[in-house]
Amino acid sequence: MNHGLRGDAHDEAPELEILVPGVQTTVQDHPGRTGLQARGFFPSGPVDGFAFRAANLLAGNDPRHAGLEITQGGFAARFRCHARAALCGAEGAAPTLGGEPVPLWQTFAVRPGDELVCEAAKGPGFRLYLAVSGGIDVPEVLGSRSVHTLAGIGGVDGRPVLRGDVLPLGRAAEAPLLRLPQSLRPAYHTHWELEVVRGPHGDPGFLTAEGWREFTSRTWRVDLNSDRLGVKLDAHALAWARPDGGVAGGHPSNVLDVSYPVGGVTVIGDVPTVLGPDGPTSGGYTVIATLAHACLWKLGQMRPGRDTVRFREISLAEADALAAHTEFALQRGRLERLEPAGPAGAAAPAAPV
Amino acid sequence: MTGAGVPVPEHAVLAAAPAAGGRPSVTYRQAGDRCVLVEYGPPELDLRLNFHVLRMLSALGADPPPGLLDAAPGLRSVLLCFDPSRTARTALVDHLHTLHERQPDLSGVTLPSRRVTLPLAFDDTATREAVVRYARTIRPDASNTRGGNNIDYIAAQNGLPGRDALYEAILATEWWTAFTGFAPGLPFLFPLRGPTALSVPKYNPTRAWTPEGAVGIGGPCVAIYPAESPGSYQLFGRTLPVSDVFARNRVFGDDPFLLRAGDRVRFTLCGEEELLELRRQVLEDQYVYRIEDAPLALAAHVRGAVPGGTGHPDGSGRAWAGGEVP
Repeated sequence: MNHGLRGDAHDEAPELEILVPGVQTTVQDHPGRTGLQARGFFPSGPVDGFAFRAANLLAGNDPRHAGLEITQGGFAARFRCHARAALCGAEGAAPTLGGEPVPLWQTFAVRPGDELVCEAAKGPGFRLYLAVSGGIDVPEVLGSRSVHTLAGIGGVDGRPVLRGDVLPLGRAAEAPLLRLPQSLRPAYHTHWELEVVRGPHGDPGFLTAEGWREFTSRTWRVDLNSDRLGVKLDAHALAWARPDGGVAGGHPSNVLDVSYPVGGVTVIGDVPTVLGPDGPTSGGYTVIATLAHACLWKLGQMRPGRDTVRFREISLAEADALAAHTEFALQRGRLERLEPAGPAGAAAPAAPV
Repeated sequence: MTGAGVPVPEHAVLAAAPAAGGRPSVTYRQAGDRCVLVEYGPPELDLRLNFHVLRMLSALGADPPPGLLDAAPGLRSVLLCFDPSRTARTALVDHLHTLHERQPDLSGVTLPSRRVTLPLAFDDTATREAVVRYARTIRPDASNTRGGNNIDYIAAQNGLPGRDALYEAILATEWWTAFTGFAPGLPFLFPLRGPTALSVPKYNPTRAWTPEGAVGIGGPCVAIYPAESPGSYQLFGRTLPVSDVFARNRVFGDDPFLLRAGDRVRFTLCGEEELLELRRQVLEDQYVYRIEDAPLALAAHVRGAVPGGTGHPDGSGRAWAGGEVP
């Protein structure tokens, strides 16, 4: 019989040991802790949901299985079991398994003792996602395994992973080696274009036509202080339609406290901030535009302090079409099957779809 | 992906209707392709609009439209998130508007509500530490941190003769939980009854650390910090935990958050030593939180007894202090 099925009586415990946690590595699942915004929870979950979901598919997992979000690379872990794994996301991290290069966007097989090592990602891209067959089996808290660091819940004891953490893995049947076709992989950039839908506070009652044109034509810099809570941009005085925020405050960006959408572009004084998955669920600032759901993933790959971004306005119909395109790319049937291969999953040539 | 040339409307408003039949006006705004923001009435600080928000949430709970994933209140608004594979945006807005038009005049309405009594220690060591730390590490010259506390600043901003007058005003007010949010379990409280018409600018820039249980005020709104976190409200004291996902006290057994929208809060005076003892008892599940069911009949609250318009409800005509410390 084969030697590789996890869960055999003689197999190692299905675990992953963290050797180097990097800047911030967290346990996440998709779509995270939903339905709790009224209690102050944004969903958490991966900032780049596309790369995360792709990694899960490639590892043979269900969409809800938890994986690791590795910020900026600089990460190492040791497998204590046989498993299938996949790494998707930022480029230039030169990942290796047992010293052999590991390709992104395709399944690789691991054996007990194998060490996965990523260098600091040179980019483009900022976050890597590691999925392991069976998923990371930490307890669900309020319906999700994702970490919410502010609330101190989810993941490993409500915090990012630390050196020496041993993460329990779920059990899984052996899955085939797969690859996401080149044509369906997202393109990473150093200058990003973000598709936005105007509003909720983007109409001429809040921003003048000139203000809106500026917002959608200017090249914005991604601030160094950007994180899972939000991507901050450089300060710029937009042309507001109102002299002030009325009863809500002296600045025209002020409104009476309102719940924010994930991906909302809030303008806090003169600083636009795109709200990420751990962001504040409400506040007293206008949200002049909202990222199309299908391009939320880009927030996870923009490099703080380095990349630039421009906003492109699209209609709701276009946003719906983009979402359909994303779902198309993430269907299991789109994956290419690789020939059985060595532990690093050296790819046999496969025709693009 | 569709080609270019799809017309993009110049505004974000999906639909709107004027005030009618004792109901406020309503505006449905697009908030991306997965959410709709519903705003009620004019942009004024008027708790009647919040009452309408809460009864709409209750109506949504009883008759949820298909595909509704989340409904999160603001002061005068509700954000609705939906699954586009299960509902069309227009169907969602139609459903909401039908519910809106079905609501009778507020004066005949009773909202579910609870009275929650919390002990409060003014000017305690932990909140003073937060103020001092801010002055030392973030902004040494801010007028709101003079003397190592925010209390004198709050009193001066509101033209009060001293601390005692501020404490009395806070204790004599019944506070209305208009919504929870920003961070997990954080309640936003507004004066429902009593003399308080306090308001004060927020920190500028933001404070990096606030102790759990701290109580502060920003604009006219009082907040209780459910966890250690950054913050921008002016702190005046500390109370009991209002959140615990580990449910160390039975009050958190069914819900990790003490307060929900529609709850009324009363603060009672407590010394710091006593507060620390009570906080210990909370963690050991010896303390029983004081909570009573007390539905709120709105008839007494919708005829000028609550802040309406843009001025102070004390009728002085002066504006609420919004914004930040200059």
